[in-house]
Amino acid sequence: MTPKRISDRTRNEWVTAYAFLLPNTLGLLTFVFIPIVYAFYVSLHDWNALSPKVFSGFANYKELLRDQLWWNSVLKTLLFTVIYVPSLYVLSLGSALLLNALKGRLVGPVRTMFLMPFAITSIISAIIGMYMLDPRNGVINHLLGFAGIGPQQFLGSTSQAMLSIIGVILWINIGYNMIIFLSAIKEIPRDYYEAAQIDGATGWKAFRWITFPLLAETSTFILIVTMIGSFQAFDQIVVMTKGGPANATEVSVLYIFKQGFELLNMGYASALAFVLFLIIFCLSIIQLKLLSLRK
Amino acid sequence: MKLNNRILLPSIAVLLGLVMIFPIYLLVISSLRSETNVFDFNLLPTGFEFSNFTEAWIGSGLPRSIANSFIVSATVTAVAMIFHAMSGYALARFRFPGKAIMFAWMLSTLMVPFAVIMIPLYLITKNLGLANSYAGLIIPSIFNAYGIFLFRQFYMDFPKELEEAGYMEGLSLSGAFFRLALPLSVPIMVPLTIGFFLTNWNAYMWPLIITQDEKLWVVQQRLAHLVGGGYFTPWNVVLAAAVIVAVPTFILFFVAQKYLVEGIKMSGIK
Repeated sequence: MTPKRISDRTRNEWVTAYAFLLPNTLGLLTFVFIPIVYAFYVSLHDWNALSPKVFSGFANYKELLRDQLWWNSVLKTLLFTVIYVPSLYVLSLGSALLLNALKGRLVGPVRTMFLMPFAITSIISAIIGMYMLDPRNGVINHLLGFAGIGPQQFLGSTSQAMLSIIGVILWINIGYNMIIFLSAIKEIPRDYYEAAQIDGATGWKAFRWITFPLLAETSTFILIVTMIGSFQAFDQIVVMTKGGPANATEVSVLYIFKQGFELLNMGYASALAFVLFLIIFCLSIIQLKLLSLRK
Repeated sequence: MKLNNRILLPSIAVLLGLVMIFPIYLLVISSLRSETNVFDFNLLPTGFEFSNFTEAWIGSGLPRSIANSFIVSATVTAVAMIFHAMSGYALARFRFPGKAIMFAWMLSTLMVPFAVIMIPLYLITKNLGLANSYAGLIIPSIFNAYGIFLFRQFYMDFPKELEEAGYMEGLSLSGAFFRLALPLSVPIMVPLTIGFFLTNWNAYMWPLIITQDEKLWVVQQRLAHLVGGGYFTPWNVVLAAAVIVAVPTFILFFVAQKYLVEGIKMSGIK
């Protein structure tokens, strides 16, 4: 197609389209795309924010291989992910099934109750968590007392702190994922269940052979979004434990944050961020592959 | 089985629902207790100390940070709606070279977690002279491929006839968008507006990175500072502040729950 043959109308359409896309293109370039490239560039430098950048090749990457605190943070991140992602999946799918089985006037109020914590911001959820989990006076320890269980340290304990934080984050996120599952379940044609009923498949069997397989796409979506999100858990951790006790909750994002904004090691922190990006990227690809294999 | 369905199932559902809202209930009743009673183990209200709220309001710089959060959230949301509607419309309606690549590229930015780019994002924003300013809080928060994607979905199903008639009347391509399509985009704008507003009201990490000046703090920073800022704030005041900050989102939740649910469902579209 030579330029001459392009009609005014077509040219007009091109120009308008590019003009419409311009603000977002510039924005996404500047604030998402370039930062990734820039992170890699900065990661090749020894740069303490206050002093000038000095090119140092892959020195930062060599250093992170030996950085015990970094690998500790990677382990903590994986620990968080391995507990959080399946828990959220099971709890939100379970809630959706429960709500779907519910009939009559209760449906609305129960859905509202499940969704309400979603309106709580992450910092408020952290505050409520700290208040309820207070080792000396918190309501959870009071309730455990009734069950004959002695007071627990929760956020002060290296073995319980991560679980406590996960509990708080689960609490505010179940409702959101439940709604997504619920709308996917509602889209499954009723005939499927009626046909299955004739063959004697109800309850668990109907779930196993109809509902669950037909939710494959929604499940994939939720698992991937949740996993990427789980690598970013930050707000509650900063407020509730600041990474402690004894680094028990210091996930990678928090470690990168501390390296960058507290110790001002911009070059090193960028190298860590870039490695984290690669880890997340690979895990996402693997997860996509596994989930598509299953189908 | 019959019994299960009629009694057991609803009971379990209601019980679990109550467990879900219990912490919110506890927050509210405890925010009304005095400093010495704030940890009372009592599931009923044990006091009505409204002075907690005046103390949280006056003593902590909360009003200023609430105003900041409103300014930032409202501006981000308003600008994002226009930009994302424009992009979504262009990707749905117009034919132009590079369209598929453009769309794929924009979607690919969804794969980049914010936490991973926080350092370079900070450096770039600082180099642009936007650190420690409203612009620095607002501008980087606007761009979001989700919004573009959802607007595109909406305009794909939008009837063409209307704009065709507009062209006949002499409207330009952009005129047809701004005068005809955009005003009729309310069904997508309402849930997205709620979603964007909530997300920005909730924002903590980016404001923490980009602001040093206490006058610029957003509301989540203020709360986090109250609970862990190094000096002692009584729990009853912290809880009262948390209740104040929760009010706007709860109003939104109860007034617009239908649209909120709508928005969540849309975000789940594959």
